[in-house]
Amino acid sequence: MNNYHHKLIAVILFVALLLVICTSLSAGQYDLSFMQVVAWFFHKMGLPFLENINVTEQQEAVLMFIRSPRTVVGLLVGAGLAASGAVLQGLFGNPLADPGIIGVSSGATFGAVIAIIIGINSTSLVGLPISAFIGAVIAVSLTIGLATRHGRIPVLTLLLAGVVVGMLFSALTAAMLTIMDDHKVQQYLFWTIGSLDYRRWEHVFMGVVPISLGIIIMMLMARHLNILALGEAEAKAVGMNVTKFRLILLAVATMTTASSVCITGSIGFVGLIIPHMMRMLVGPNHRHLLPASMVGGAVFLVFCDAVGRMLLPNSEINVGIMTAVLGTPYFLYLLRKNMDIR
Amino acid sequence: MENILSARSITTGYDKNIIITNASFDVEPGEFIGIIGKNGAGKSTLLKSLRGFLPLVKGSITLFGKELKSYSQRELAVQIAYLQQQVEMTFDYTARDMVMAGRYPYKKWWEQSSDSDTDIVDACMQYTGVMELANTPIRAMSGGQRQRVYLAKVLAQQTHVLFLDEPASGLDLFYQEEIFRFCQEMCKYGKTVIMVVHELNLAARYCSRLMLLKEGNIIADGNPGDVLTDGLLTEAYGVDIRSLINKETGHVDIFTVPAPDDGRKKELIKTIIGDRHNHGKAVAYE
Repeated sequence: MNNYHHKLIAVILFVALLLVICTSLSAGQYDLSFMQVVAWFFHKMGLPFLENINVTEQQEAVLMFIRSPRTVVGLLVGAGLAASGAVLQGLFGNPLADPGIIGVSSGATFGAVIAIIIGINSTSLVGLPISAFIGAVIAVSLTIGLATRHGRIPVLTLLLAGVVVGMLFSALTAAMLTIMDDHKVQQYLFWTIGSLDYRRWEHVFMGVVPISLGIIIMMLMARHLNILALGEAEAKAVGMNVTKFRLILLAVATMTTASSVCITGSIGFVGLIIPHMMRMLVGPNHRHLLPASMVGGAVFLVFCDAVGRMLLPNSEINVGIMTAVLGTPYFLYLLRKNMDIR
Repeated sequence: MENILSARSITTGYDKNIIITNASFDVEPGEFIGIIGKNGAGKSTLLKSLRGFLPLVKGSITLFGKELKSYSQRELAVQIAYLQQQVEMTFDYTARDMVMAGRYPYKKWWEQSSDSDTDIVDACMQYTGVMELANTPIRAMSGGQRQRVYLAKVLAQQTHVLFLDEPASGLDLFYQEEIFRFCQEMCKYGKTVIMVVHELNLAARYCSRLMLLKEGNIIADGNPGDVLTDGLLTEAYGVDIRSLINKETGHVDIFTVPAPDDGRKKELIKTIIGDRHNHGKAVAYE
C-alpha cells in the first residue's frame, strides 16, 4: 500500500462520486438525461461547455428542489454511516461491528415510534428526527453505562450490553406497535425501511452540521484510533488513556449515526460493508481508511438509491431495501471467508 | 549510582487475588535483569505492577525518585516501554504501522507523525532487521519476525527502561539468542532491561542479574552465578535441577533430573500404550 496506490484509489473514488451524483440527479420518473444534468452543472457554474443542451425551467425545479436535496441527504448519510462504522470497527477491534451494534438503530426506532404515536411527525418536519435522535442517544448511553465498570469499558461487555439494549428497545417498540392504529403502523413501517424519498433541503440542513462535524472529528482522531485498534493492552503500553478515547469516539460515532438514521430511517449494511471493502483497498490505517470510507459510503448509498429508482418503471424501491439486497451477499461472503481463516 | 526503579515491600495482584507479596529491590541503570521462576510464580504480574498496570495493595514503587503513581500514563510511556506476552491483532496492520505506534506518547493529540518520527522508526526496524518487512502485515509474519517488529516498536518508544514479557518464547533458537543479544547491547549503551525469561541457559549467559520467584516471593536476587544454583533452582521449580559449568563452552548448563519411579508410572504406560503396538509383537514391560 504505497502512496501511488492510495492516490489511485482516491482518484477512482472521486470519479465514482461524480458519476453517481449525476446518475442520481438524472434518475427518476421525471425525464432528465445524464448529459442534461452535466450541462446544468456547467451552466450553473458559468462554464462555456455543453451550451447546446437545454434544461427547461420545470426540469431545473425538479433538480433543485427534489433530486438535489435527496442526493445530498444520501451523500451525507452514506458518508456518516460508513465513517462511523469504520470508527466502531476499529474501536471494538472487531471487523463485524457496525453502528447498529451499540443500540443506535433500535434506540432511534423506538424514538421514531414514540414520535409517531404522539403525532409530532405530522405536525413538524423535525419532530420525528429529533425524537429518533434522543432515542438513539438514550440507548447508547444505557449500553455504555451497563458496560462500564471501575472506569473501564471492556469491549466484549460493551458488545453484549449493546445486544441486550437493542433487544430491550426492540421489545418496547413491538409493544408500542401492538397498541397503535393501522395507519400509524404504516407510517412506522415506512420509516423503518430507510428511504431518501421526499427528503427536502430542510433535512439537509438538519443533518449537515452534526454529520460533517462528526466526520471531521473522527478524521482528526485517526491516529488515536490506530492505537486503539491494536488492542487495549498495546494502547495502554504506549500511554493512551483508553477509556477516555473510547468514550470520545463512541460519542462522536453515535452522534453521527444517530443524525444520519434520524433523517432517513435505519439503513443497514452501509456502516458494515463499506469500511470492510475500503480496508481491503487502502489497508487498516485509519488516516486512509476514514476518508475512503466516507466517500465510499456516500457513493454506495446514492448508487443504491439511484438504482432503486431505475429498476421498476413508475415505482421506486426504498434505499434501505437496496442496501440490504446488495449488501447481504457480500456480508455472507465475508463470513465464509472469515471462517476459512480459522 | 542513582536507582532508576525502586520497589519497597510491594504487594500486588488481580482484584483480591494477591500474587506478589512483600517484594523489595532496586534497579540501577544499565542492568539487564531476568525474572525467572516456574509458571504461575508471578513473573508477569511483577512486571505489570512495576509498569503501573496493576494497583498496589501495599508498598510503593518509585521511578527516577518519583512515585510511580504520580506519573501520567503518557509520562510513563516515555520512561518505560512494555512488550506484552501476546499481542492479538485484528486488522492487517503493517510492521511500519506497529513500530510507529511506539512514537505515540511523544505526540500531542492533534499532531501527526513527522519526518523525525519516520527516521527513528526506520532506524529501529533496520536495527532489528525487519526493514524489508516494513509494508508486510504483521499477521502474515512468522513468530520470529513478529517478535523483532515488536522489539523495534518498544525501541522506537526511546525509553530508558524496557520491560519485556517472555519475548523469546516459542521462537527458534537463533531468534531467541538474537533477542538476548539486542538487549545486552542496548544495556551497554545505558538502557535498562527487565525481562521475564524461561530460557535459563540464555539468561545465565546474557543477563547481568537474575531474580528468582517462587509463589510470589523473590527467593534469590543477584548475579546469575549466585542465583542459578542447584539448591535455589530445585526449591523454586519444585523438581530436581542441576546447574553445571560446561567445560568446553564455559556456559552454564541447566537440566532437570527425572524423579525416581515409584512403580505407578509403569502401570500408566501400560494403559496408554496397550498391547497392540510393537509391530504385532507383545510389548515387554519389565
